[in-house]
Amino acid sequence: MEAMLEIAGVVTAYGKIEALKGVSLSANRGRITCLLGPNGAGKTTLMMTTAGVLKPRQGSIKLEGNELVGLSPARIVGNGVALVPENRLVFPQMSVRENLLAGAYQRNDSGEVAADVEQMYARFPRLKERREQLAGTLSGGEQQMLAVARALMSRPRLLLMDEPSLGLAPIVVKEIFGIIAELNREGVTIFLVEQNAHLALQVAHHFYLMEQGRVTFSGNPGELAEDEVIKRAYLGTRRSAG
Amino acid sequence: MIPFIQTTLDGLMVGSSYGLLALGFALIFGVMRRLNLSYGPSIMVGAYLGTLLYIQFGAPTYVVAIVAVAGSVMAGVYVERLCFAPLGVGAGVASMVSSFAIWMQLEQASLLMLPRHSYPFPSLTSSELLSLGPLVVRPDYLIMLAAMLAITAALHVLLYRTRFGLGLRAIVENSVAASLSGIDVQSTMLKAFALASAIGGVAGFLVLSANQQVTAMLGMWATLKGLIAMMIGGLGSIPGAIVGGLVLGVIEVHSQTLFGPQVRDLAAYGVLFVLLVLRPGGIFGTTAISESVGHRGGDRWTTT
Amino acid sequence: MDDHLTGILSNIGVISFVALSAYLLLLTGEISFGQQAFFAIGAYTAGIVTAMWQLPFWLGLGAGAAAGGAAALFVGLPTLRLHGLQFAIATLAFAEAVRILFELFRYQVMRDGEPVGPNGIEGFPNIRYIFENDVSATQFMSIIYGLLGATLFGFFLLERSRLGVAFRMIGQDDLLAAAQGVPVFRVKLIAACLAGAIAGLGGGLYAHLTTYVEPAIFDVMLGVHSLAYGLIGGLGTAFGPLLGVAIDIGLLESTRWFAGYRMIVFGGLVAVLLIVRPRGLLDERLVHRIRRIVSRRPPPAPASATILGEESS
Repeated sequence: MEAMLEIAGVVTAYGKIEALKGVSLSANRGRITCLLGPNGAGKTTLMMTTAGVLKPRQGSIKLEGNELVGLSPARIVGNGVALVPENRLVFPQMSVRENLLAGAYQRNDSGEVAADVEQMYARFPRLKERREQLAGTLSGGEQQMLAVARALMSRPRLLLMDEPSLGLAPIVVKEIFGIIAELNREGVTIFLVEQNAHLALQVAHHFYLMEQGRVTFSGNPGELAEDEVIKRAYLGTRRSAG
Repeated sequence: MIPFIQTTLDGLMVGSSYGLLALGFALIFGVMRRLNLSYGPSIMVGAYLGTLLYIQFGAPTYVVAIVAVAGSVMAGVYVERLCFAPLGVGAGVASMVSSFAIWMQLEQASLLMLPRHSYPFPSLTSSELLSLGPLVVRPDYLIMLAAMLAITAALHVLLYRTRFGLGLRAIVENSVAASLSGIDVQSTMLKAFALASAIGGVAGFLVLSANQQVTAMLGMWATLKGLIAMMIGGLGSIPGAIVGGLVLGVIEVHSQTLFGPQVRDLAAYGVLFVLLVLRPGGIFGTTAISESVGHRGGDRWTTT
Repeated sequence: MDDHLTGILSNIGVISFVALSAYLLLLTGEISFGQQAFFAIGAYTAGIVTAMWQLPFWLGLGAGAAAGGAAALFVGLPTLRLHGLQFAIATLAFAEAVRILFELFRYQVMRDGEPVGPNGIEGFPNIRYIFENDVSATQFMSIIYGLLGATLFGFFLLERSRLGVAFRMIGQDDLLAAAQGVPVFRVKLIAACLAGAIAGLGGGLYAHLTTYVEPAIFDVMLGVHSLAYGLIGGLGTAFGPLLGVAIDIGLLESTRWFAGYRMIVFGGLVAVLLIVRPRGLLDERLVHRIRRIVSRRPPPAPASATILGEESS
């Protein structure tokens, strides 16, 4: 079982403040890897760095051996990596359908693209109902599904997801995680950042804990008692009680 | 009644050129959220190159047109590469001032080419007036109106029925999300700039050929008219640009007929000022694009 | 000091006022293309007071500054609630409207059988107070720089005052400033008034320096130049805009090197400069560093320690 994504020694800074102080982790092919940690740990920064929106000062990020650092976000999508960003970032004035087409921007096979759009409608029936509606008028859960569907339109080999459960009702969150598990069964490698440690541990094959810009723990679900993981994910190691 | 309609008609004709100029501004502002003060001067460079060929080599009108548009595009690309591409999203004022500096540069370069205050410019048609019933129309202006309609339609098709247009609109809404979707933001912005410059070049050519002369004020004139028309119609809005241009044209021609040329300009500025104060979004009130040029832009994502 | 040099220095001094005016507004985050309007209002007012009403020079200057400030207040009230580009274009529209109004403005009185006063497009000649009262070019230059120095001192005091902090806070993020309790609109209005007064003062000096003003001088070019000076010289200090003016007028007017290509060279240099230093030569970071060196204060502790609090170990 080889690593599909290898992040080594990544340092990303905002001006003088280092949000990532040397992060190393990997995500195996065909698996769901999860990154947990408290607010401010740097998880979104890591996602944005991997997706190419932020440029690291040091370190390397390799997809199946190919270096991604230095490539533009568009090129990284072209390499088969798609990010479902935190806060969804749908295009509010464009319809659901157009949002999906945007995700397929780099593809030249219009027939296949159309087929994929139908597939998304099948997977996400609520998107089909609203396909000509403006994305800004969708509910939070629907926007999340749209963001996932849009990312899938580029037929990524590696799907990055930043806090898919953020701000969503529990029923919707369960639905989203069901889709995550389903996608993984179909062969998509998933690297997932989550606040909801409980749910994350139910789908993850492997997880990391991150605090203050560094990875502090790496293991499989079960290696650490779940409530210990949750404590560390929300509060960090140094403040865990006695 | 007839004189009123005639004046309004004249205003609409003049306004079509303003609309085209505003279209170029709106395209650039919509995509980049920044104001390109070199827009008029890039049109001037193209127009002057065309004029040079006309005067020195007696080039035929269609060559002048092609050169005018191509020159505009080249100048526009130059401006984009120097003033906009290197400066990131946050440096709004800096890129605007930079484009102003290049305005000075392009204007002086043009004047070095052709130093006198005005030069003849080839016309597209004979100067005979056409009559539409009781009304009179100049054929050059009719061509301008037709061009405006054609370009607007073409632009609409481009924006809403092509992949490039989809990418452009995506960038306007959120450039981070656009790049995450695989859209090459830098390259798309460059192409949008070139397109805007081409449209400006066409506008410039049509106006100059209607007036049969080109003057050294072209750069300033194009920038001011395009800017005012765009603001009247609504910052960054494409349909707004056209409407704003037409409205500006009508206001100007009516003011000039009633009060003379100075009041014409005063009226335009007065209307713009009142409009901005009362309805800052312009006629089309696009509140989505009401962000400031400086610190707070439209693309945000938070960190955990 | 020869007349040519005096002339250039005086010019630099006077234009610095309108540059400082644009800079002050820029500190609060507002881009104005229209400060030349207050410059014009100041010039005409001062000219009218001295040349037509035969009142003393200082009164003229004071009236010019007051007129500039009042006009700024008048315009600021409806426009300052606009943001960014809308505000900038509104100031442009206002300034151009003012310029055209001056083209239509005629007000003349008879002095010694000759009409004196603004005459529409032809302008307002014979503002000769300085010459009629035997003030030499050098003396006038000292007056200009004396007043400029006073204005800079005002900026110095402002930087250290609560108002100055409020200005910069609003300039960074006015929503955040409002959340901190800063009365944003009122502060912006104060800034606009001060800026108008500064420009008006400069205008009064300009009118007496050149003895002749006409509407064409106060055009969009002057306005955008004023803004550019701050961006070029640097936004970190009030000396920034002065540096910008000195570079443009001093280096380029006075040297004959680039005759004919001056704007091509200058324009290109500015564009390149802004790529490398988007906040100008004397930008906030540099000024901050200079201040620290000058006061020999130690640099603050590394960021991570302060953000996350003391670690128990």
